[in-house]
Formats: sequence, C-alpha cells, structure tokens
Amino acid sequence: MTMVRLFTRQAKERKQRDELLSAYLDGQLSAGERARLEAQLATDPALRAELEALRHTVALVRDLPPVPIPRNFILPPTVAARPRPAPSARPRRAWAAPLLTAATAVVSLLFVVVLAGDLLLSGVGRLAFAPAAAPPKEIPQVVLETTPVVEAEAEEAMRSGAMPTASMLPMPTEAPLEVPPAATAGAERYEAETPEGVESPVPAIGGGPINEVTAPAPGPIPTVEVGVAAAPTAATEGTEVAPSMIEEEERTAAAEGEREVRESETAGPAPISPWRALEVALGLTALGLALATVRAWRARRRQ
Amino acid sequence: MDEASLITAAQQGRVDAFNELVLAYQHQVYNLAYRILGDPASAADATQEAFISAYQNIARFRGGSFKSYLMRIVSNACYDELRRRKRRPTTSFEDFGEVDEEANPALINGGEGPEEYAERQEMARVIQTGIETLPPDQRITLVLSDVQGLSYQEIAEATGVSLGTVKSRLARARGKLRDYLRTHGELLPARYRLDGVSPGE
Repeated sequence: MTMVRLFTRQAKERKQRDELLSAYLDGQLSAGERARLEAQLATDPALRAELEALRHTVALVRDLPPVPIPRNFILPPTVAARPRPAPSARPRRAWAAPLLTAATAVVSLLFVVVLAGDLLLSGVGRLAFAPAAAPPKEIPQVVLETTPVVEAEAEEAMRSGAMPTASMLPMPTEAPLEVPPAATAGAERYEAETPEGVESPVPAIGGGPINEVTAPAPGPIPTVEVGVAAAPTAATEGTEVAPSMIEEEERTAAAEGEREVRESETAGPAPISPWRALEVALGLTALGLALATVRAWRARRRQ
Repeated sequence: MDEASLITAAQQGRVDAFNELVLAYQHQVYNLAYRILGDPASAADATQEAFISAYQNIARFRGGSFKSYLMRIVSNACYDELRRRKRRPTTSFEDFGEVDEEANPALINGGEGPEEYAERQEMARVIQTGIETLPPDQRITLVLSDVQGLSYQEIAEATGVSLGTVKSRLARARGKLRDYLRTHGELLPARYRLDGVSPGE
C-alpha cells in the first residue's frame, strides 16, 4: 500500500519535474521559477542529467531532416466549382440536423394522415356538395382530363404564394352564379394579356360565351394559362392590401367561374377543397424540410 | 502578390490564388502530417484533405496567422486519422518503417557525406518510431512544437486547448520520448547517442 503510494508520489514528482524542465528549455518559466530551478540544478547532478537528456531529445527532434513532398498539393479547378457556403450559413449548430430530421418526419406523417383522411372522406364531401353544381354531361372527355392539373397548378401557386387567398377560396364556389358572362370575358381578356402577350385578346371580340374559346381542340392551352396567370399575381400581390386583393378575388372568381362553366362536371367544387390546400401545404413543407435536413447533415459531416 | 492579397483573392473564390498559398505551405503541412502519422501515404492524404478543407472554409478565416490556421486544420485531419486507426487498426505496419527520405538525394545537406547522411536517416527513423509511441494529443503537440517550431500560444490556438495543457502535454511527450531513447539508445548512430547520461534515476 505504502509502496503504491510512494510510487504514485514519485511519478507525480517526476511529472512535475519534467514539466519544469521542459518549460525551462523553452524559456517559459517565470523569473522566480527559473531562479529556483537553476539553484536546484547547481546542486543536483541528477537533475542536471535529466535536463541534459531532455535537451538532447528535443535537439534530435528538431534535427529531424525534412521529408520531401511526394507531389504537389495544388487544388484542381474542380474544387472551385464546389459549393462554398456563405459564412453566415456555414456555422450550423449541431442540433440543427437532428431537429430538422424530426420536423421532416412529423410533417411527412401529418401529410400522410391528411392525405389518407382526404381520400377516405372525399366521397362524403362530394355527396354533400353535389347539389351545388348541376352536372351537365355534354362536356367532352378531353377537357375533363385536363382540368384537375390546372386546378392543382393554380391552387398550388396561390397556396405557396400567399395565405390570404386560401381564406378567400370558398367564395368562388358561388362565382359562376353571380358573375355575368361579360364580366367573365373581361376578366379573361385581362388574363390573356398578362402572360407576355402570348395570346392576343381575341376572346374580347366575341364577348360571348367562354365555351367558344375552350370547347374546341385547343382547349387545354387557355386552361393552362389560367394557372400561369394566377401564379405571379398571387405571389406578388398576395401580401398587398385591399385593392389588389379584390382584383385578385375577381380574377380568381373569374377563373373559377370560367372553369366552372366549362367543366362543371361531377366533381363539383373540388378545386376549393380545404383538404387539398392542406395537402399541398404539407407536401411542400415536407419537401422543403427534407431538403434542409439533407443539407444540414452534409454540413455537419463536413465539420 | 503578398499573402494577405492571396487570401483575399482565395476568399473571393479564386482557386489559383489559393494554390499559390498551397505552394508556399505544402512542405510544412506535409512534414507536419508525416511526423504525426508516420507514413507517406497517410500524410499525403491528410495534407490534401487539409488544403481542400482550408479552401472551402477560407471565408471563415478572419485575419491572424494563416500558418496557424493551416496547422490547425492539418492537425485536426491527422487527429481524425489517428482516431480512425485506433478504431480499426488495419493500416499495414510496413508503412510505418518505410521512410523514403533516402530516395531523395537532394535532401543531403551541403557538406554532409554519404555516411553522415545515412546516419541522419537512421536517427530520423528511430526518432520517428519513438514519436509514434506517443498518444495522439502529445504527439501532435510535440511535432507542432519541436518539428514545426510553433510557440505555446500558437499550439494552444491550433489544438484548441489552454496554455497549461500545452505545457503539460509537451513535457509528457518529451519525457516519454527521452525514456524511449534511453531504452532504444543503441539503435541510434553513435554520434546521436546521449553520452554521459545515466539511464534511469
């Protein structure tokens, strides 16, 4: 027991002594410490020998010949093409990656739940809304097939662009009843002008039923433009105040009405389903979070 | 262009400017990695890795000593490599004894004859083996101090520890290496032996 204690004490003393000698060699001792050590060295040959052994060791390490480099380490130009994150975005905190992972999981789960709920309940929803729109069955199949895409596009653009539109959405359900054909045509003209004049305001000349424009074969083309036209306005004006919102409301109503007239099919008011809105929002959020998560983990691994 | 301008240019994404810095520091960086890791292949990998990392993170470099910045990055790269080895020690041990200085006659110091040169290489081999017996922290500290000539302050910055820790790590590293040379002194060529110092206490 005492032997062990003696041994550990000796080891400790040895360590302290080495630390003093090592710092002494580097000139890192305070004046007082140095004076004390030098006094000890003058009287203690063993300590002197230790110092010399240490000095010799350090000298040998310092005398190590430099090794030649096996090649040049210049970076290839491809490294320049690598993303070099901005200094602000770079120091990601350690918890960011796991947190984002969890968030992605939660949002994805919500998305799945909402989607499942929508799919399960959609039948009930349709029954409830069915009386609102009388289904004229003469609409050609082609138009029926294109519309869901347009709805999704237009809606997605509005959802992602601005929240206010989401709250307004239920209104257009009645639009077809209120908006007279002339107003619809006017709105359509306005919209036709917005997308870089791709289409001249032909519909205005007719001023008549929209069916004329949409019914023939080129039907899908104008319908797509509704989506395109809605996107920038929703994105830019959505945050602004009343006038633009009214304008947009009108336009949305017009677009909705136009579609309604054209394809008021069995599905009824499907475009404004809050379920769909939630699904799109959740889906986009999940996607965004997933991308952020991947980036966060990469950044973390690079640390 | 001076160093500061090269750094600024590199920060603006000019890889050619950064490569000027690489050319200026690659010997030092490689030697540091070589003395810590002990084999040319790993040292080359760590060096390349360090330069790439230094370039990618150069936006974070805010003045100070660029050398210290590089030394910190390469020390970290070496530390990671040593930890990897500890986890799965699959590195072939032939690599360790293989010192290729001999392959390069340009390293012969002016005035040093072939015999002296051979002895110096022999000494280097023994010291290198001794260095490799040290634990990573001590090894890196010793090489930064006694091979690279960094000050305590610079080592503290490069390794992210306090001055006191640098001091004690260095003392322990030197002490262990001294003990190693005492027990393996006969491996050293005569002119490198520590004469007149009795082994042990």
